[in-house]
Amino acid sequence: MRKIALLLLILSFSAICQEVKTEGIVQYERTTFWANIMSRLTYLSAEERDRIKLTWGSSDEGWKQKMTLAFTENQSLYQQGEDNAEQGWSGRKETFFLTKNFASEHSTDYIDLLGKSYIVDDTLHAPTWKILNQIKEVAGYICMKAVTVDTVKNQTITAWFAQDIPVQAGPERFFGLPGLILELDVNDGDVTIIASKVEFKKLTNEFNLKKMKGKKISDAEYNKIIADFIKESIKGERNPFWGLRY
Amino acid sequence: MLKSISLGALLLFSFVAIGQNRVQIQGKLVDTSGNPLSQATVMLLLPKDSSLVNFGRANEQGAFVFKNVKRQPYLLKASYVSYVPLQVDVNPAQEESINVGALTMKPISKELFEVVVRTAKAPLSIRGDTIEYNAGSFKVPPGATVEDLLRKLPGMEIEADGSIRAQGQTVKKVTVDGRSFFGSDPKLATKNIAADAIQKVQVFNGKTEAAKVTGIDDGKKEKTINLELKESHKKGGFGKITAGIATEGRNEVKGNYNKFDAKNQVSVIGLANNTNQSGMSFDDYQDFRGSQAFSWGDEADFGFSGNNRYITFDDGDDQMGVPIGGRRDGFSKNYSGGANYNYDTKKTKFSSNYYFNQSERLIDKISSTQRFFQDKTQNSADTTNQRSFSANHRMSLRYEKTIDTLNTLILIGNGKLSFGNATQNSQIFQQLLVQNNLFPRNTKLMNGSNQQSFSSQNSAIFRHKFAKKGRSFSASAGYNYANSDGAATQKSLNQFLNATTLRDSIQAIDQLTNNFSTKTQVKSSLFFVEPLSKVFYWESFFNTSFQNNRLNRDLSDRSTAGAIARNDSLSRYYDNNLTYNRLGSSVRYSKDGVNVTVGLAAQHFNLTGDFRRAAGATNLATIDLNYLAWIPKIGIDLELKNNRYLFFSYDKSAQEPSIRDLQPIVDNSNPLFLRVGNPNLLPSVNHSLSTGFNLFDAANFMNFYSNLSYNYNVNQVVYNQSINANGVVLTKPMNISGGESYVGYFGFGFPLKKTVSTLNINADFNSAKNPLFLNDVLSNTHTNSGNISSRLSFTPSDRITLYVNAQFGLIHSTYDKSALPEQTIYNNQYGSELNFNFGKNTFLSYNLDYKVYKNKTRGLYQEMPILNVSVFKYVGKAQKSEIRLTVYDVFKKNLGVNQNAFQNFVSFEKTQTLSQYVMLSYTYNMRGLSSPIRKN
Repeated sequence: MRKIALLLLILSFSAICQEVKTEGIVQYERTTFWANIMSRLTYLSAEERDRIKLTWGSSDEGWKQKMTLAFTENQSLYQQGEDNAEQGWSGRKETFFLTKNFASEHSTDYIDLLGKSYIVDDTLHAPTWKILNQIKEVAGYICMKAVTVDTVKNQTITAWFAQDIPVQAGPERFFGLPGLILELDVNDGDVTIIASKVEFKKLTNEFNLKKMKGKKISDAEYNKIIADFIKESIKGERNPFWGLRY
Repeated sequence: MLKSISLGALLLFSFVAIGQNRVQIQGKLVDTSGNPLSQATVMLLLPKDSSLVNFGRANEQGAFVFKNVKRQPYLLKASYVSYVPLQVDVNPAQEESINVGALTMKPISKELFEVVVRTAKAPLSIRGDTIEYNAGSFKVPPGATVEDLLRKLPGMEIEADGSIRAQGQTVKKVTVDGRSFFGSDPKLATKNIAADAIQKVQVFNGKTEAAKVTGIDDGKKEKTINLELKESHKKGGFGKITAGIATEGRNEVKGNYNKFDAKNQVSVIGLANNTNQSGMSFDDYQDFRGSQAFSWGDEADFGFSGNNRYITFDDGDDQMGVPIGGRRDGFSKNYSGGANYNYDTKKTKFSSNYYFNQSERLIDKISSTQRFFQDKTQNSADTTNQRSFSANHRMSLRYEKTIDTLNTLILIGNGKLSFGNATQNSQIFQQLLVQNNLFPRNTKLMNGSNQQSFSSQNSAIFRHKFAKKGRSFSASAGYNYANSDGAATQKSLNQFLNATTLRDSIQAIDQLTNNFSTKTQVKSSLFFVEPLSKVFYWESFFNTSFQNNRLNRDLSDRSTAGAIARNDSLSRYYDNNLTYNRLGSSVRYSKDGVNVTVGLAAQHFNLTGDFRRAAGATNLATIDLNYLAWIPKIGIDLELKNNRYLFFSYDKSAQEPSIRDLQPIVDNSNPLFLRVGNPNLLPSVNHSLSTGFNLFDAANFMNFYSNLSYNYNVNQVVYNQSINANGVVLTKPMNISGGESYVGYFGFGFPLKKTVSTLNINADFNSAKNPLFLNDVLSNTHTNSGNISSRLSFTPSDRITLYVNAQFGLIHSTYDKSALPEQTIYNNQYGSELNFNFGKNTFLSYNLDYKVYKNKTRGLYQEMPILNVSVFKYVGKAQKSEIRLTVYDVFKKNLGVNQNAFQNFVSFEKTQTLSQYVMLSYTYNMRGLSSPIRKN
């Protein structure tokens, strides 16, 4: 009985704590496994795919990039994180700023795509998520599994959302789950985006962005640019993802 | 579309739409003791595919409500940390509001939660009352059985007799992939299946056998474990074999086989032919070496970072690695074969391979050369036939151990044992032209050699990362050893055709040489990186190396009667030591695509040695060269917007003189071309400035590359050539400064019509000023050379691809001060390739390569159209076989042609080479053949 009382105490305490668990910054590590991506290219022969897998597959530790997500209940900003040049090279910071406003149901993404600057401006279109009965821990939080399909890039998406962070934000262009998405897996491990640190704090100017220019397009127009490019690249036997975020 | 609501609010959600088709769903979530589960997540899913329709949170009393949701069946799902997710069906009929009542959520067993979810970080899957987890997350030693694995799993106990208890109950049955395994004894499966074959372990309460048979659920449940085996796609094998027979007695056979699973790769390869293919193709190499085909991070000589690292592949017998490619002139018979084994896990990588190759090669060539001096010109017409044989055994081992997240160790060992012999017969007709007077001469050479060599290269690299981010340390050690043991005979007869006396007219040489040389090197390097801030890094390195070279050359003269006498003046013994030390430091700035490195190194050589006529003889010359050079380094790399890159670098390098160039003894291996070394040589220094711009435009399928560099040489080693009255040339190396060159490269590729036609244009040039030292007179050669080429690809459909290319090459040389004639050489090439699919898996392809060689000054011209045509067909249902008929060199024109102009020297060489033959070949490929008609 005493145990239950204690449990109750803890539960109610954590319930109070959860009040503030709606605002903060997540650090993600985005890892791209090129060997997987290349061995999926439809125009390669079985022999060429095996060759890529055998040569690169077992030693592919992935190409890593840091990403950050600032979130509150009502809005989120996802962008490239602070790069560290331990490997002897620092790449250019991409123009890739995704802002979502869940209160006004509006999304504005600043994306450099195929050599052009775009502002993808539209109402929120959340993917159709399927909720599955699997749980696991990510960055210290128990997360539940949800899946969806990216019909534009033809990718299966697996998201793990924290049950006790009631924020519907997420990395890349994914959101709309009952909890913050802490892990995202694109196409069975081709790209993984995994939270390394979740920090709750009052956000002040984190959502301020410098003025950016670009051609204003809708979600549908953005998807069409991507779909057309992928189609054309596959026809020309080129890997579309050398020039396109996977 | 999902409409969702303000989540932080303690309670409830409003869906502002009112109508008869709307319904309200409410309920309450409690734990097994009836306490409310506040903040639990509640979701409404569609039963058919679990799609999320709406979600919310339970309030402090555990209550939740979905207002005004569409009237349709739902799956109401609730989840709460450390509780088993709960699902209930909700089927609204006509009611306005449905209350599902208090729903009880069960906690997940504490050990399952702590051990599986928290410690092993393995996902837990819940299906009704089944909880399963990923077996791969639990570490068991290699060779462990399922029983060992189960011991590690939470809630499992293994009794002494092997019987299993799960959550306190005896496990009655173990199934594998849902099927019973060898009857009902659960121990049979757990004791006999290897743990690493298991993907998942599921524990659930199954119906009893009786219930299954009768179909009547007797309510009794048996604890059952199901073992799910790993997917089989990680295991596989593939291979191919090709055999061909041809006219002219030509044959070839080659094959390879690979077998692999998640950790192991085993491959074997072999080839035999008399069609001049000495090495394997690059694709075959990649398949053969598998995960070790490219080795990054094996560089043990640390230096300035930011220098481009190259991966080099060996294309000949001289190198340590497995030979690739190599279609050489002449006629050759080739055999080779090898085996490779790789073992790869996250922590340990091991690779080993053995490769043997042998080649027997016949060469018949004629060459004409001209060597100009101020007052003399030497013309030479040579006919040479050569037979050579070489055989090589190569072994390599590589071991990489990731000791922990901070420490890595790499050990590499390579060894090669080679045998070779060669015989050469040459007929040289030479004319010395001195102010319109001709001095003709005839030389016959008969040389033979036999040699055996061994070399071994070994290195160890250790890398350590410190806990402080960005700070790291690396150390390496290396030991290299090589020896060569050879014997050679050299016979030559020189006839001066217009000499007046018999004694002057004939010069004969008959020599026997025994050479034995060793080279030993011990070296070590250190590298340290200290982050000064988030964007500044301080990098330092130290290299030290000690190298010993020893040579013993015994040369004997053989008289016409066969008597052998040692020739002291041409025999030699030397022992040299080279000590090399370099200490350098640089600061690197790296941020947002801007990378700048500025550094300085001090490099010191000490070269000591002596030269003797024999091992114990008096010292002829002592060399003790000490040299200190300061080596600065500047590197700037910029990544600009939209995949454009700009780079600039300044590098300086200092190279010690070669031992051969230092020897103060005349080498008469070629009696018409003598060499003598110069013990006073200094190291040569090169300054290089380089800049470039690259662009990659993915949207337009366009790319552009350019590179420009300038090189300036200080103390360049230049050979002073002097010619005597008999036309014998003597060369001696000297240090000359002032040689310079400008080198450029441009490449541009763009589609004429996207996915259908692409045009690539490449151009390069090299404009060099090289010092020329003739009869002690210093002047300069100006050589301008350039190539421009373009390739048009036309790939209109899957049925036809066509490629056309042309290349124009020019070498133009002029001379300062001296009256040497300028030289202009052209190397042009035109090509075309067609692949055509007739349908029914029948293909035609041709490859035309039309080369034109021209030396305008000397009136030399050779054209060589080579056309190969083949027709092939894939047969069988799975298209695993191919039958191919190929006509090589349809016009029977193949020749090895080589023309060259360098300093005061011009040559033109033709080698008899494998020409027309018709081959019928058969290929079997286990993975099936595709239609590879497009080549990017």
